[in-house]
Amino acid sequence: MQLDRVSVAFGAAVALREACLQIEPGTRLGIVGESGCGKSMLGLCLMGMIPDAGKVSGSIRLNGKELAGAPEHVWRRHRARDVAMIFQEPMAALNPLKRIGDTVMEPLEVHEGLSRSAARARALALFDEVGIPDPDSRLRQYPHEISGGQRQRVLIALALACNPSLLVADEPTTALDANVALRIIDLLVRLSETRNMALVFISHDLAAVARATQQIAVMYGGDIVERGPTAQVLGAPRHPYTIGLLGARPGLDNRGRGPDGRRKRLVTIPGTVPPLFELPAGCRFSGRCTREIASCALQRPQPLALGAGQVAACHLLGQAHAGAGAS
Amino acid sequence: MARLVVRWPARLPVNLMIGALLVALVVGVAALSLIWTPHDHAAMTIRNRFQPADGVYWLGTDQLGRDIVSQLMVAARNSMTVALVAVLIGGSIGVALGLLASALGGWVEDLIMRVADIGFAFPALLFAIMLSAVFGPSLTIAVAAIAFINIPVFARVARASANQVWTRDFVAAARAAGHGRFAISRDHILPNIAAPVIVQGTIEFAVAILAEAALSYLGLGAQPPSPSWGRMLSEAQTLMFMAPHLAIYPGLCIVIAVLGFSLLGDGLRDITDPRLKRRRA
Repeated sequence: MQLDRVSVAFGAAVALREACLQIEPGTRLGIVGESGCGKSMLGLCLMGMIPDAGKVSGSIRLNGKELAGAPEHVWRRHRARDVAMIFQEPMAALNPLKRIGDTVMEPLEVHEGLSRSAARARALALFDEVGIPDPDSRLRQYPHEISGGQRQRVLIALALACNPSLLVADEPTTALDANVALRIIDLLVRLSETRNMALVFISHDLAAVARATQQIAVMYGGDIVERGPTAQVLGAPRHPYTIGLLGARPGLDNRGRGPDGRRKRLVTIPGTVPPLFELPAGCRFSGRCTREIASCALQRPQPLALGAGQVAACHLLGQAHAGAGAS
Repeated sequence: MARLVVRWPARLPVNLMIGALLVALVVGVAALSLIWTPHDHAAMTIRNRFQPADGVYWLGTDQLGRDIVSQLMVAARNSMTVALVAVLIGGSIGVALGLLASALGGWVEDLIMRVADIGFAFPALLFAIMLSAVFGPSLTIAVAAIAFINIPVFARVARASANQVWTRDFVAAARAAGHGRFAISRDHILPNIAAPVIVQGTIEFAVAILAEAALSYLGLGAQPPSPSWGRMLSEAQTLMFMAPHLAIYPGLCIVIAVLGFSLLGDGLRDITDPRLKRRRA
């Protein structure tokens, strides 16, 4: 799947600005950023599920087929079979009035034309694959009767039902406790490997993304500010926002007191994310960036290849680059 | 489940219990009339007209010597049948239109809801009178008229509830699983809007009883000899000072039936709508 300069606008509010991404089969891409940075919007783009009020421009290609602006019925043919999605809140994502079995078997009967008993057998196999114990009795239960982790596994089974080649996971672990979250992440990684299925893992949890993915894209204010191999970007971040984000992680080394005897404080990025319709026209991060230069607020920085697959959009890097080239 | 059953009665609102009691009474009497009435409701014995209540005629007889209890019982059955058929037809069409509007959105939704607004603006009884003028008065016309005026009511309730359900995550999950709008409407939206629709249906049942009584009062409902509360009222009107009980009993029946269904609907709304529940607590 390939996104080229995809933008989503709701009136004057630009939720996503010229996003470029390439997702190869079987690879795992993480998308991180603060709330409202457009990461969920990017996920919905991949599903063709942008709300009606949103205007999508740019190019979304699935196996070479252009899908940007395609009508609902075209997208529907690809959902579940080519791209599937799991959601943040596993309780809300299951119809409370339907038995789990009916929910999981439904797409099998509709899309694959399986008989009820064949669908049931597939559902049992799927439950087994995602590690749901006692699948037989699970099929007959209602969503409120099982735990959060089990519900998320049910949703994963549902998403895998028609063997998609890309799974979009929109904050799949946010509503789960840390222990269960780890196991869900490992399950997603394992499924991606055994099925050669691409995974887009959307999260604001850097540790989760580091564990789950090979590639990462950092988003801020609707822009992808930095992307590249996960280890590279997290290990040697180049964009000031990524640097700030990594600095703002609570950890063992920022507890207690510093050498000056004062309590260490959690490092934060100053300011708050401005509302979508008040974002600066140039670099979205200008105004909060500690290393801002004159052109930041006015001119949009272009993505710049920094080697080893790392790409960042920042005027400072461009300057350094140009300077290095000139000397 | 057993625990639920045990805990329920203590928490049931009073209006629900009174409503259910009155509804059970009316429906029970209507059902009983299918197999038994004290007398033939249409049998006229002029010699026995204006009989006071006694052991033979429990509530006395009317100006033609017909037993009032038997007439009231059969009238209850007629009234229930009209209301049930009308609400079911009107409700089904209305809910289908509401779901359609909610599923398609855009100009289709606008069109359906604006037409429903026009339906709302049209006085129900006027519409029934118009139909009767065209097709001649009959019970079928009364049912059709009451069903018709129910369509926009249910369309509105269904659309408003459905629009809420459409924003829920499991609907997004169903879309992500490749289901179409109509399949989602049927499988996911409809079961989740059942509660408000049933509440509305119960309240509309009361409205339908009242409308049927009004139409019968005007002579546009059940035709003689089939008895109806509304027509009994209109026939008693000229005899008000001579035999007030002829007007009082059918009037009382209408009050009981309408009150019963209204209270039942209110009570059901109280226990199904969590927002109201919180306010009560």
